[in-house]
Amino acid sequence: MPTANTEEENSKSELQKNHGGGGGFTRWAVVAVIFRLALIYFPGNLNLSSRPEVSTPLTSIRRLAEGYWLKQSSMSPYAGSMYHGSPLLLSVLGPLTVKSLVFVLADLISSILIRATGRKLQIAYRKSLKSLNLLNKSTDSGALSSGDIAALVYLWNPFTIVACVGLSTSPVENLFTILTLYGAATGLAPLAAFGWVMATHLSLYPAILIIPVILLLGYGPDAPPSKLFRSKEHGKVGDGKSSQEIIFSWRRVFHLLVWTSLWSVYVLVLCSISVKQHGSLQEMFQRTYGFILTVEDLSPNIGVLWYFFAEVFDFFRDFFLIVFHSNILFMILPLAIRLKHRPCFLAFVYIAISSMLKSYPSVGDSALYLGLLGLFLDELADMQFSFFLFCGYVGVSLLSPVMHNLWIWRGTGNANFYYATAMAYACFQIVLVVESVSSMLNHDRKLTKLSTSKLQK
Amino acid sequence: MAKVEKKEVAAATPPWKPKPRPIVRLGIVLISHSLLVSVVCCTAGIVALFLLPMLAKNTYISENALMPGSASSMLSNHDISEAERLAKDLTSLNSGAADAGIERRRVLAKYLSDLGVEVGYHKFQSHQNQFHPLHFFSSPDSGLSRENGSCSSYGINVVGIIRAPQADGKEAIVLVTPFNFRKNSSSEALSISIGYAVFSLLSRVSWLAKDIIWLVADSQYGEYASVASWLRDYHIPVFSASSSHNADSCFEGNNINLSREESPGRTEISSGFRRAGTMAAALVLKVTDVKGQLEDTLSVYAEASNGQMPNLDLINVVNYLAVHRQGLRVKVEKFLSVLTWEWIWVLGDTLNFIGKVAGSLNPEWKFGISTPDYVEGTATLASSLYRQALGIPTGPHGAFRDFQVDAITLEISPKVVYTNQGRRNEFILRSARLIEGVVRSVNNLLEKFHQSFFLYLLTSPAKFVSVGVYMIGFALLVAPLPLVAASLYVDANKPEPSSQDPKQKLQINFKPWKWLSAAKQVFTVHAWGVFVSLLPYFISQIPNSTPAAHSIIWFSLSTFGLLVLYLITKSPSKPQKGKWENLKSLTISAVFIGLLLMSVVNFATAQIGALVLVPACLLAQPLKLDIRTASLKTFLRIATNVFISFVAFPPAGFFILKGVNEGFGNMDVGEFWTWLESLWAWNSATYIYIGMVHLPCWVLCLQILLHSC
Repeated sequence: MPTANTEEENSKSELQKNHGGGGGFTRWAVVAVIFRLALIYFPGNLNLSSRPEVSTPLTSIRRLAEGYWLKQSSMSPYAGSMYHGSPLLLSVLGPLTVKSLVFVLADLISSILIRATGRKLQIAYRKSLKSLNLLNKSTDSGALSSGDIAALVYLWNPFTIVACVGLSTSPVENLFTILTLYGAATGLAPLAAFGWVMATHLSLYPAILIIPVILLLGYGPDAPPSKLFRSKEHGKVGDGKSSQEIIFSWRRVFHLLVWTSLWSVYVLVLCSISVKQHGSLQEMFQRTYGFILTVEDLSPNIGVLWYFFAEVFDFFRDFFLIVFHSNILFMILPLAIRLKHRPCFLAFVYIAISSMLKSYPSVGDSALYLGLLGLFLDELADMQFSFFLFCGYVGVSLLSPVMHNLWIWRGTGNANFYYATAMAYACFQIVLVVESVSSMLNHDRKLTKLSTSKLQK
Repeated sequence: MAKVEKKEVAAATPPWKPKPRPIVRLGIVLISHSLLVSVVCCTAGIVALFLLPMLAKNTYISENALMPGSASSMLSNHDISEAERLAKDLTSLNSGAADAGIERRRVLAKYLSDLGVEVGYHKFQSHQNQFHPLHFFSSPDSGLSRENGSCSSYGINVVGIIRAPQADGKEAIVLVTPFNFRKNSSSEALSISIGYAVFSLLSRVSWLAKDIIWLVADSQYGEYASVASWLRDYHIPVFSASSSHNADSCFEGNNINLSREESPGRTEISSGFRRAGTMAAALVLKVTDVKGQLEDTLSVYAEASNGQMPNLDLINVVNYLAVHRQGLRVKVEKFLSVLTWEWIWVLGDTLNFIGKVAGSLNPEWKFGISTPDYVEGTATLASSLYRQALGIPTGPHGAFRDFQVDAITLEISPKVVYTNQGRRNEFILRSARLIEGVVRSVNNLLEKFHQSFFLYLLTSPAKFVSVGVYMIGFALLVAPLPLVAASLYVDANKPEPSSQDPKQKLQINFKPWKWLSAAKQVFTVHAWGVFVSLLPYFISQIPNSTPAAHSIIWFSLSTFGLLVLYLITKSPSKPQKGKWENLKSLTISAVFIGLLLMSVVNFATAQIGALVLVPACLLAQPLKLDIRTASLKTFLRIATNVFISFVAFPPAGFFILKGVNEGFGNMDVGEFWTWLESLWAWNSATYIYIGMVHLPCWVLCLQILLHSC
């Protein structure tokens, strides 16, 4: 049984490596938490919570405080068009609005979950490579596994730090999105369902993640294209017992759906209890999802929609709202078909696209998909333009506040200056998505080529 | 089996190598010829900088509503005689007496309230400008501390406000005259006369649509401080009474209780803060004595903090009225030393000649410029660039720009010190009519200044270079940076020939992105730059030490920090192929981003910085490599590299410039510290640039030069 043996060996070395890297991870994670605490308790005012890059109308802690105050004084938290978040968030975060540590905790848990997901993905990846006889043992001696790197990228990404220190609620939203992925990757349907329901409830856009979650639960974690295994079967017809056929596990998907409906009912009941005294569920939907979908608040942010809807005639507004939102929906199906064997990567692509096209984006959303990008380091090692993208992200994220200052404070620039950086940012995001998808497909092609040439021998 | 064969065919003609898109192809062509492109672009950028005086356009009044000079002046001799009476009353007070300052304020307030305008005193405490690292990043109000100081540093401004009869008090125009109440100065008295003459006229006219505020700024602690604190109190009301209470207790201690003062004139003098509407524009009026002038001149100072300029229309109006109505000679600051440079004259002659030749070929091409004009323009442009690059306001008008109010300082200097009353009156009349005309124009404005340029460089009072023109030169200068970075990156990250080895090719390699280690290095050096720029905050807290000691402590701590960083991050691994290329490529990218940012914040700094950093970065190459292949070319490169890296070191560059301008005789180590202190005290972004862009990039260039490859 050579396969079983090597598998054991491999998992052992895997564990050792993770253990070795674990020390590094823990150390860096602790430093990251201390760094955040130092910034939060910094005596001077960094004014981060009022930056348009950090806090959107949906995630601003000041709006949450306003909503909490309204609720405390027996009014609907949605009165006055200030608060647009979930009523549950109000009950949990409301009492803790000032310098709370919830966001630091959320970031930490997110990074741990990313790390666990990464480990799952890596084990699955190596397993599938090994079953294709493609794993090169001599070269895999990186200091940290991709899961560790992804977790550290998430923790140390300036975007994440700024979102956390600026007390926007996006760390919490990100936490639930990551929880969804973790639950799905480990095959825990109830957890995945809970994460998905909460993430959708908080920020609506993660709703499209239901497709990757179903795929992830059905097929298991990312693997090379399934036909590769099939062709391998063909090649080794004589060898009766080889790796199992990949089957779609309907049972887990069914579990997921059941749990999703359960959790949704639960969340809705909690919400209705929470808003019962002063409003109704209908008002809640109008003020949260309606606010997201109709792009009511046109204050500048790093997205591309505010400027457009500030300029567009009211007459065409509905039409363009449909166009912009269906942009995201149009991309779901083709991507799902093309990347169905890599559901985690599919989730990354969905998150990146929605954070680019959502109505009120902030750097917290970018932090999420940049963190997830780290999970696929092995596959994306040949990515083109990585250097260009890195410089572009650094440049734009520095230029954008300067342009904002020029427009708002100095008065020598105008809205076009700031919007130009938003467009540049969107372009970089598009390039990132396009390049990562194409290099992932290239990676699959390379695997195909390698395995066929192996078969020739 | 057929399937496998198909696969093989597919593998033989790799399907994942499609023809690159046109834009990518264009990029590849540019990148592969990066040397040629960078030489051409850099040269063109520097040439374009010297062409700027030629490309300057004549100013024009862009806002139609201004209508300068369309109304005739209403200023009469009565106003002037009244103003002269005030000036006499002010100067006749004994300057030696301890309470002369209070008495002068009282006289002034009495005159103002006799005009029937609102009068108020504004008490302020002069703040020591202190370095606070957060000032750069926070909004203007948040960093201000209103701590208690000693009572001795309080000043009192006198403020008069005319309420416009035609308007609702939503807008205002501000006149500022700095005046030291403690001292007797004939020129300051003259400026008060001019101010009062205009103000007394404006208190009677019926056409006012905006309130007029006349601020007689107490200049005993500097002109800027008093205006800035008045503006701060105007825009940022204090709701807790502690600050004003503090000031009041001080004044009571000194037996100067202004609030309970008897009202001497027609209107009440209030000690509460008086406000009018938002400010449309502000004029700071000063009179100076300059010896040896041929005629009465008007100097215009416009640079505010970080190279911000007021709207060009304001300067245009002043220039138009001064030249065409009052016959004053208008000038802006210029570097007189440039006029003595031989090569500028030669360059001017050459350009003149080229312009003439071009004009003879085609009369449509009119870009010729006479040599003296060119040299004057260059001198003015150099001064304009220098002032903007320093980021320190050139007068009290700078305080207004922080609140988005367009303001300039008008410095009028008479030909001689007038002893004859008639000549003196005529001088006052002309100056006051100028101010009246400007106020009347601004009064016509329907919106705030927005039509004309905010981003420009002046080459003479009536000529300017707009952002669209000067940016071309800058863009050409920095354009090679991304190209060279890309070409270096491509060179360094070519697939190694060994990977063509079929055995390796059959395996999946887990290799990290190569440039990440270089990125780590660049990041650490920039973090060190942040550390170095924050150090003065702590060093300046050390009591009883000289600037020289400060700078030595700073220098040694910075070097120590660099050493520690170097020891921590030193990687034990052997030098890899393409390591210094990656480092250089990252460095160039960092420089590019830094210069781009700076060009938005303060163009002049970026332009001057680019002139130094771009060649330094592009030429940097490990000395070892050059020494190994000893030839004339490499020798030249070594010499240039060593020279540039010496000049680019900020203290060295500072002392060289200083030595060239003032002689190398008396050099003090502390001067550099003093200079930088002035930069951070004024919150100049140039300081940030030097600390966080220039210095780290210089260190990185040195690292590349000394790289062991």
